[in-house]
Amino acid sequence: MNPRTHMQTVLSLALFMALTVSGLAQDISATFDSANKLYGQGKFSEAVAAYEKMIQSGTVSPAIYFNLGNAYFKSGQLGRAIASFREAENLTPRDPDVRANLQFIRARVQGPTVSPAPWQRWFAALTVNEWAMLTAVALWIWLAAAVLIQFRPALKQSVRALLWCGGVATLVCGGCMGAAWSGESTKTAIVIKSDAAVHNGPLDEAPTGVTVHDGAELTVLDTKNDWLQVRVDNQRVGWLKREQVVLAQGA
Amino acid sequence: MRKLLRHGIQWLNPGANPLWFGLFFALVSPAFAVTFTASLDRTSIVLGEQVILSLTFDGAQPTEIYNPRFDGLQAVSGLSSSTRMVVTPESQSTVYTYTIALEPVHAGQLVIPPISAKVNGQVMSSQPLTLRVAAVDPSTMPPAEYADKMAFLWVVLPKTNLYVNEPMVAEFRIYLRSDVRRIDNPQQFSPEGSGLTFGPLVQGQRYSRRVGNANFTVMPLSVAITPVKSGTLSINPMNASIVLNNRDLMESIWGDSSRPVQAPLTSPRLDLQVSPLPTANVPPGFTGAVGSYTMAVTAGPTNVVAGDPITLRIQISGHGALDSIALPDASGWDNFKAYPPTAKVNATDQLGIEGSKTFEEIVTPQNSDIKALPAIAFSFFDPEQKKYRTLTQPATPLVVRAANPGSMPAVAGTTPAENPKPTADVIPIRQHLGMVAPLKPPLIQQPWFLALQGVPVFALLSSVIWRKRKENLANNPRLRRRRQVAQLVREGLEELRSLASQNKSDEFFATLFRLLQEQLGERLDLPATAITEAVIDERLRPRGVPEEMLASLHELFQTCNLARYAPIQSSQELAAIVPKLDNVLNELRELTV
Repeated sequence: MNPRTHMQTVLSLALFMALTVSGLAQDISATFDSANKLYGQGKFSEAVAAYEKMIQSGTVSPAIYFNLGNAYFKSGQLGRAIASFREAENLTPRDPDVRANLQFIRARVQGPTVSPAPWQRWFAALTVNEWAMLTAVALWIWLAAAVLIQFRPALKQSVRALLWCGGVATLVCGGCMGAAWSGESTKTAIVIKSDAAVHNGPLDEAPTGVTVHDGAELTVLDTKNDWLQVRVDNQRVGWLKREQVVLAQGA
Repeated sequence: MRKLLRHGIQWLNPGANPLWFGLFFALVSPAFAVTFTASLDRTSIVLGEQVILSLTFDGAQPTEIYNPRFDGLQAVSGLSSSTRMVVTPESQSTVYTYTIALEPVHAGQLVIPPISAKVNGQVMSSQPLTLRVAAVDPSTMPPAEYADKMAFLWVVLPKTNLYVNEPMVAEFRIYLRSDVRRIDNPQQFSPEGSGLTFGPLVQGQRYSRRVGNANFTVMPLSVAITPVKSGTLSINPMNASIVLNNRDLMESIWGDSSRPVQAPLTSPRLDLQVSPLPTANVPPGFTGAVGSYTMAVTAGPTNVVAGDPITLRIQISGHGALDSIALPDASGWDNFKAYPPTAKVNATDQLGIEGSKTFEEIVTPQNSDIKALPAIAFSFFDPEQKKYRTLTQPATPLVVRAANPGSMPAVAGTTPAENPKPTADVIPIRQHLGMVAPLKPPLIQQPWFLALQGVPVFALLSSVIWRKRKENLANNPRLRRRRQVAQLVREGLEELRSLASQNKSDEFFATLFRLLQEQLGERLDLPATAITEAVIDERLRPRGVPEEMLASLHELFQTCNLARYAPIQSSQELAAIVPKLDNVLNELRELTV
């Protein structure tokens, strides 16, 4: 294959990929628009199905989760709405609209629910990926300063401050990334039934203690078969059936 | 004081006129947080049995105890007192306990009303106590033939038909015949049974009983049993033992020949019929509580600005599984923001089924239109009455003033972004798709990202190694010269090939000579200019260099010398010298001198 033929093949391939990606983007956008149209017509259940289909196809976007949350809320499903807005919040943690809707819906949840601790809210201000990028940048700056000193020992005094700052920033950002990752690894059960009785044990026959309601967010402590052990509040722990909740990442 | 006590006990007999029943003490403890509780060692007994009433003062000694009325009960012992120090890491206090044995005169539910006492000049009252007295049931009494046994276990269940989640106090009585002088602690046993939960085993006061024609001392061990499912549930058979009449030191000294006896303590499987809670007429807010309860609700302050916190305290008191009581249904609280409640169980008996559970919840009214705290209802199933009951606290009037925007309390550590302004509805949907990305694991789980972070680490390691080698070279002149000469030789050989091809004989041999000088100088640690052919015999031969190499070196030096006199040689001849030189220089480099 001569160089000219080789170049033509590469260009053709690039053009094909660009067209394919463009076509896919148009498809996704059209699906999104049609789901929005269903929402606008008040067909919230159909809109929910359309948004869910987009997510199941492996495409995620804060806008899809945001609209899905609204559609769930309008169809009276507080728990699923909260779960969707939490997904949107994971992608864009500083979006004021997402936070406003989440707060609006949470205010309508009856009964006990677990609120994230202030430190968890602080770490959640950035996504895990953002913390990872910050850590990487700090690490590169730190190690670049260290490499520079190897080649130019005379610059050691000038670079010392950068070296310290880079090291501290790497450790702090790395710690925050770890904490955020740990927080995201925590599972939260969001109740999707209007009334869900919390049992004292993972048995149907076990006596029920408290009843939680649609939208209650409870920290998952353990799982056993089809049961989840949840923390209802600081005093109470109980078991809920898996089918009564959806699981979300993060506290 | 003894006289006063006797007088008091006489008054305890039913039918006597209420008189002052006083206890006077010379010393009064300093004023701390004093608590006064009254308790019975058992809450359920059979007619003819005794129960011990304990009055416990934690923190100070009482100066008087007023008007204890024991309707339906008679005192069968004198009042005894004890004092103990309770030391915890946080505090220490003195606990004064007064006990008296009472015996019921008839069966039924007896209530001991609140008992008042004067402590530190202040009058304190205990909570009322309930005692269930069952009529003599032959099944609860051991048969007369058990009089032959020195010790045995007898289990008494107040009832065998229960509801799910209804606690029941079972008593495991260890009977010890009067000729038993001494016992070792009975082997620890813990009752078990599928579908049943068992509380802690609590040892009560000993009392006397007659079985057949023998007198026995009874050691009661009580436990609260709560069924968690319906159906026929069983308390497993028990097989324990107790050592009787073990010899003590004095008996060993006096040569008592009696031998200790190990007596079995066994009980058969005991079945309980557990019914599910009725499904009819279940109150809407029922959360599973079973027992008999009362409810007290307090809320304050009741004159607030919208957004101000109000503390709501709900106390559920009574008999039942206190731990499993859940906060009453909170419907109708849409206009309030409620914070997660705290709950505290305060059991007044050691079995944990009498006492109270207090919920404390902070609620904030969200607007000034609110006129009252909603009514609070608590429902439970009463197994005695076999029906659901609902306790209701009516709505509490509230005065809620509108908040002045300038004076809204700010929550520390929060920003407007963290607490967006409340809206009347959700913010409408997004019309633009915006950023779209396939679902991917986070960066820290992606190999490429982790590998990328290895690049600066690798660069640092490489630069450190490079610097170390450079420093090593700077501190080792021979090594530095060896490397310089090796570089010089590599370049020189290339130059020789070039000169040979150009047939530049003079420059060729001058270069060749210089390369020989440099390599030999480096090997012998001499200046290159000091190297001549004579060095071969003077320096190399004594060091045992092979003859072949010496001959080759001689040949090369002589070729250089000859070339000065007969410089014209062909390119082929010059090129043929280069491999010879290369071989000699390689051998020289490997030479250890």
